Amino acid sequence: MLRKFTLWAASALIAFASLNFELQEAPGDKLIGVWEPSNGRARVKIDRIGTKYYGRIVWLIEPNDPETGLPKTDKNNPDPALKNVPLKGYRMLKDFVYQADGTWSEGTIYDPLNGSTYNCVIKMKDKNTLDIRGYIGVQALGRTDVWKRLAVQPAKK
Amino acid sequence: MNRIFVLGTLFASLGSASMFGQTDTNSLEDFSQYDNLGFAEAGAKRYCSPKIEGLSPAKLISLGYDFQGGYAVNAGDLFAADGTTLLAPSSSAQTSATYGMRAGFNIPVISKTNLVWQMGANYWNTNFRYAPDPSSATPNPLHQTLDEHGIRTAGVNTTLFKPLDSKQFLLFQGSADLSGTYGLGLMPMDYLKYSAALIYGRRPTEKKQWGLGVARTYRVGEINYIPVVLYNSTDARNKWGAEVLFPARAHVRRTINPRNMIFAGYELEGQSYRLWRNPASGFDLRDEDLEIRRGEARLRMVYEFSLKDFIWLSVQAGYRVNYRFDVDRLVDGAEIYRAFGLLRDDAYAQVNGLGNPLYFNVSLNLVSP
Repeated sequence: MLRKFTLWAASALIAFASLNFELQEAPGDKLIGVWEPSNGRARVKIDRIGTKYYGRIVWLIEPNDPETGLPKTDKNNPDPALKNVPLKGYRMLKDFVYQADGTWSEGTIYDPLNGSTYNCVIKMKDKNTLDIRGYIGVQALGRTDVWKRLAVQPAKK
Repeated sequence: MNRIFVLGTLFASLGSASMFGQTDTNSLEDFSQYDNLGFAEAGAKRYCSPKIEGLSPAKLISLGYDFQGGYAVNAGDLFAADGTTLLAPSSSAQTSATYGMRAGFNIPVISKTNLVWQMGANYWNTNFRYAPDPSSATPNPLHQTLDEHGIRTAGVNTTLFKPLDSKQFLLFQGSADLSGTYGLGLMPMDYLKYSAALIYGRRPTEKKQWGLGVARTYRVGEINYIPVVLYNSTDARNKWGAEVLFPARAHVRRTINPRNMIFAGYELEGQSYRLWRNPASGFDLRDEDLEIRRGEARLRMVYEFSLKDFIWLSVQAGYRVNYRFDVDRLVDGAEIYRAFGLLRDDAYAQVNGLGNPLYFNVSLNLVSP
């Protein structure tokens, strides 16, 4: 009986530690927030899950597919199993790890317009501006997009 | 006991389980909370991007091979600088093939929201295979030079895109090319040819951009200053589009999917090639300021598709229509700007004609994100 309780307590402790870890503020958490890519066509919310950072699409300037009139899905994904996944909520930034040099790297960025996934590194130019560089193998073969932080706008009087 | 342990572990991992899914779509999540957002930074501006939605991908690295079928080369009389002394009589010969490698690369140097700067380089080699060998049967330096040396171009280029706001932009393209019958090691820098274009454009929607500008160009073989029109568009369903930089090129695009595209249209190609010949094997033209003014239109179909991820294959086939392949003599080393005969009407040192063959081109490309 005591042994069962000890195991249960250990499991609960791990669970608590895990949740607590996510709630604790980490140095890389300044990345967390809602951001707009330079083309202004989407908004991406970045969160931390465990030790890594992920960004998902939460807003689209054109939410419905003009061809079907239905909410847009990831129809350009080369994986047929993912073509019907809604774009809203889609995780386009994955697996970023905050580094000692102040960048977030080791992650990937997905472009729903062409269904391609690129290596990616994120640099914060200032608290409201990100340089998001998608690249192929080496950073020289890539393109940088500038994302701006968004905030709730005060109601107009 | 094991059951308890498994349950505990499952519970422990609940917090991070969502990381394995592609979406966090939660039916309870209210996405409308993200509607009323604006820039956190006061005064931040939106700028238009260089690309529109649906445009074919830019090529970072390209390695290709170009092949033209056989055609007749009718070389005209070649006169000396006095305009009357005949250096070489006219003669016709037949090529069995014209072929060569084409390589290019473009690297983004600066990619900011308010400025995009790209640098590139290119090398095009064109060999002429005559049948039969023209050296003895047709003693004309044009045939012998093309047969023995071919023509080639090596150059560098730059592109600057400067958005003025979310709707307007400026586009500058410039290049410096060395073109001639030389090997790369022999190409004198004195013969650099500069081309440039400056365009003011507008981007009214994410799927359309247009612009007007001026260009200094060698597209029809000799130097010209011409107006240019930029027009890129994609239809609402992302199926059809146009990619135009008139008069240099114009294509209609059919998008099968973002990794498969078909184009139909044309491109003008041209350059001025410094003509030189090794005196050991015939005519010595080293003291002559001669340049071939090559201009041609390529009416074509192009199929571009992704082989794997970012590696794309481009296959094109069409009809190469000769516009000019005349030899010009520079006046005191300076080029003649004829403005299509409006400003000057100087005679060419040699007026030549080329037949129009079918051609194909295949290239392997690394495309940009």
